[in-house]
Amino acid sequence: MRYHPMVILFQIYQLVKENVLFALVLFVFQKDSDFWLFVYGKYVFVAYVSLRFIYIVSSWFVETYEWQDRTFYLKKGVLTKKTMTIPFSKIQNVTKKTTLFHKLFGLTSLYFETVLDGEDSTIVFPVVTKQQATKIVVMVNVQEGKEVVKEKEKEKTEKVDPSIPEQEVRSDSTIHYEPTSKDLLKASFTSLSFLIIIPIISGLYDIFESFITQYQGIFKDSLSILSLSIVVVIIAISIGVIRTFLKYGEYRISSNDSRIFIDRGVVEKSQFAIEKRKVQGIEIKQNVMTRMFGLVEVTLISSFNPEVEDSDVSVNSLYPFLPVKKAYQLIEELLPGYYVHQSMQRLARASLWMKLIKPSWLWLIATACLIYFKPTVFKIESTWWLASLVLLIIVVVNRLLDYWHTKYLIAGDQVQWWHGGLVSKLFLTKRKNIIEMGYSQSVLQRILKLGSITTMNRSNPTRIETVADVPTEFIQSFQRWYKDRQADIHNQ
Amino acid sequence: MNPLENRVSEKFPKVLITSETIGNIIGFIVLGVLFWLKEHFEWPTWIGWVLIILLILCIIGTVWSYVKPRYVYQSWRYQVDETYLQLSYGVLNKEWVTVPMTKIQAVTTSQGPIMRAYQLRSIKVETMGSSHEIPALEEEVALQLREQIATYAQLKEVDE
Repeated sequence: MRYHPMVILFQIYQLVKENVLFALVLFVFQKDSDFWLFVYGKYVFVAYVSLRFIYIVSSWFVETYEWQDRTFYLKKGVLTKKTMTIPFSKIQNVTKKTTLFHKLFGLTSLYFETVLDGEDSTIVFPVVTKQQATKIVVMVNVQEGKEVVKEKEKEKTEKVDPSIPEQEVRSDSTIHYEPTSKDLLKASFTSLSFLIIIPIISGLYDIFESFITQYQGIFKDSLSILSLSIVVVIIAISIGVIRTFLKYGEYRISSNDSRIFIDRGVVEKSQFAIEKRKVQGIEIKQNVMTRMFGLVEVTLISSFNPEVEDSDVSVNSLYPFLPVKKAYQLIEELLPGYYVHQSMQRLARASLWMKLIKPSWLWLIATACLIYFKPTVFKIESTWWLASLVLLIIVVVNRLLDYWHTKYLIAGDQVQWWHGGLVSKLFLTKRKNIIEMGYSQSVLQRILKLGSITTMNRSNPTRIETVADVPTEFIQSFQRWYKDRQADIHNQ
Repeated sequence: MNPLENRVSEKFPKVLITSETIGNIIGFIVLGVLFWLKEHFEWPTWIGWVLIILLILCIIGTVWSYVKPRYVYQSWRYQVDETYLQLSYGVLNKEWVTVPMTKIQAVTTSQGPIMRAYQLRSIKVETMGSSHEIPALEEEVALQLREQIATYAQLKEVDE
């Protein structure tokens, strides 16, 4: 059957969105330009846009989809035609995304990520009605055994009962986390998003500079400067808060036996489903700001790599501002078998020496450049050695923090370690999910009886994690632990 | 950390020295051409400095490339059993690698012209996320090892 007719409008809307800037340049700003690029560019542009337009309209008539025996049959292409056959069993993940456009018409879009590689790895329904979307998702999700889809189903799809509630798709799913206003408020401060005001202000200042100097008298008064700054700060903070509420406001993490669902977005809604089976490990991340507020970002390391573009948030990120305790609890709820152990082994003093002695290539190269170029910033002569000193302090602090943060533990079939300085990370995985391990020892590490462990997990690209400067005894026990890997696999 | 069972072929240092020599000769020729170009086209002085630094590095590298092979050979060890492939190597920085057999996806033996002269082969093992090479093995050892790894790796693992 054909795709929803609104697909045409949606694709035209996208075409316009992509090309409006070019059009403005060609037909407004450079209207009278004699430069050959603009003269001929206009013709090329018109030809391109009209061809795309014809293609969009004609492809709607040509491209169809249908399903039979739990398999999608997709017909594609206007000039070169092809038929794709994709069994439901090859579908890994379902994403529903409702952009502003879809919202306007009460529609939505569907993305089915498959195990295939290449450009056809995702089945896209750019525009579908909500009922249809629900229906398709239910159909794809139905287990092989309790299949209810009849063979002739495709003929009566138009008469789907529109009352299928959204939740039916996620039968027996439980909600694990929805941020409260307090969480969001904290998040908006930690994300520093209110700082976006600074470039805006400086931009405005450039524009109004002459204007301001003209009325310098007004700004002489310190009281008015103070009140102005307060106003600016308030504006900045409220913009940050609004941004955060829009981005992370309506957020919900839920799960059933086999999948984790993430719904996000106030204006542009999207839903992700991640198969629990595909989770290869967990990463918990903290930067300086989130550490101050006791928040963490939890990311799932998954062998599934979604292609749905979402500019701001990584799809596998559960939520970037989770309170620490809630995060640990969430991991245990969502992924049975995982448990975040609190007490872990710390590094010995030798590791601290190791971390401090190790040459910092970044600092050496930067300093060499500074000595050579001797740049003067803010008209201060001696900036180059100041800059070098500041960089050195940052490097040392980062290493001290790294020493302080590094903790490691093997518990049962699970390994976990914290590491990292300004940005610290907890890495957590199961023995059977480590597809390769290695360890290395530099000359210095050999003297201090230390080494670094590297693990590899399936992900796209392969996830490589390293914990540096741990004692050789731990490396040996890690090695022995990994050698018993077979036990986990046979128990499966 | 007990040393692993097997060593690579004792001809390995010779192979290394041969290939390093060829590499060094090419390197010095390129440098020579650059020096000549610099003089001939009157390139700026800083290029001269860069070239001199490169020359010094090349000389150090050349000396090192004749000292290193023996130690590289001594450091190289590997071990294959039903469940794991293990490698260890490295002169200054030591590396150990453990790869589960079930994660191995391809084994290849290969032989370049220098290796052919010494009747050696290398074995390359590819997994989902990485590839490792055992650099120099006697021909029959290499072929046998390839078969052995291929047989062990066929054992399927339920885990996905």
